Amino acid sequence: MAGTVIGEGLSVEGDLSSEEEVVVQGNLRGKLTSTDAVSVGSSGVIEADVSAQSLTIAGQVTGDVTAAERVDLQAGGRLIGDVKASRLTIADGASFKGNVDMDV
Amino acid sequence: MNGSVIGRGTVIRGNVRGSGSLEILGRVEGDVSVSGELVVGEEGAVRGNVTGTHITCSGAVQGDVRGSEAVLLERGARVVGDLTAPRVGVATGALVKGNVRTDGEPALAGRRAGTAGAVARPIALPARPAPAAKSEPRHELRAEAREEIVDSEPSAAAPKEMAAREAPPPPVVPSLGKGAKAKKKKRED
Repeated sequence: MAGTVIGEGLSVEGDLSSEEEVVVQGNLRGKLTSTDAVSVGSSGVIEADVSAQSLTIAGQVTGDVTAAERVDLQAGGRLIGDVKASRLTIADGASFKGNVDMDV
Repeated sequence: MNGSVIGRGTVIRGNVRGSGSLEILGRVEGDVSVSGELVVGEEGAVRGNVTGTHITCSGAVQGDVRGSEAVLLERGARVVGDLTAPRVGVATGALVKGNVRTDGEPALAGRRAGTAGAVARPIALPARPAPAAKSEPRHELRAEAREEIVDSEPSAAAPKEMAAREAPPPPVVPSLGKGAKAKKKKRED
């Protein structure tokens, strides 16, 4: 199980920084930083800049996203913001609005 | 599952609120308010007020802890702040610095029971053996009171009246009354 879980119904307002896996099923507003993987569940809503080792989005993210490894935008996921990552996948059915910087 | 966990390696600077249960194993610098069970683990730390239904704390909290059902401090818990809940439990080895109040919203039933207990206690208290110095006159008094109750209608006020009647007369203190000195002077003249 993931180290940190922001469950459905829970909302965090402020900075969340972690050294472990973070799963967001609830709401987060502010800033999210992790040195491990971050995943946003289908019920997750993030209004924050996110920086992580890797990021998987199945919910909604509004904010700039930076990943050391990769960003996966899954079907049903919605991302509004710029992406900075060396690898990016956008699944069929995902919504995305923003710039991509793949460090080339 | 609707449980949230703030893991060991996680620090939140800000407020956390919502529904469902929450387990804090990391650090939160801000207020925490959930409408469910809340657990602060051994290495968990909260710097802010903590609100929940059933709060179990084994970690550190710097702020007020308010549970609508219960607040339980386990061994190793460190709380600097007030504890408020209908049920408050503090285990040996838990540290508290603050006020503790056992009341709250759903305590209505519990509070009523508490009041009943508070009423019952003073009644029960005189039945306990009184301190040695006072025991003898009290025994007499109680025996008298019992007779009285048997004779007349048993009223709750009876023991009180008896107590008033049986009170020892005011001590006779030899002293010079008002104008005694003048009288004395006159007599000498």
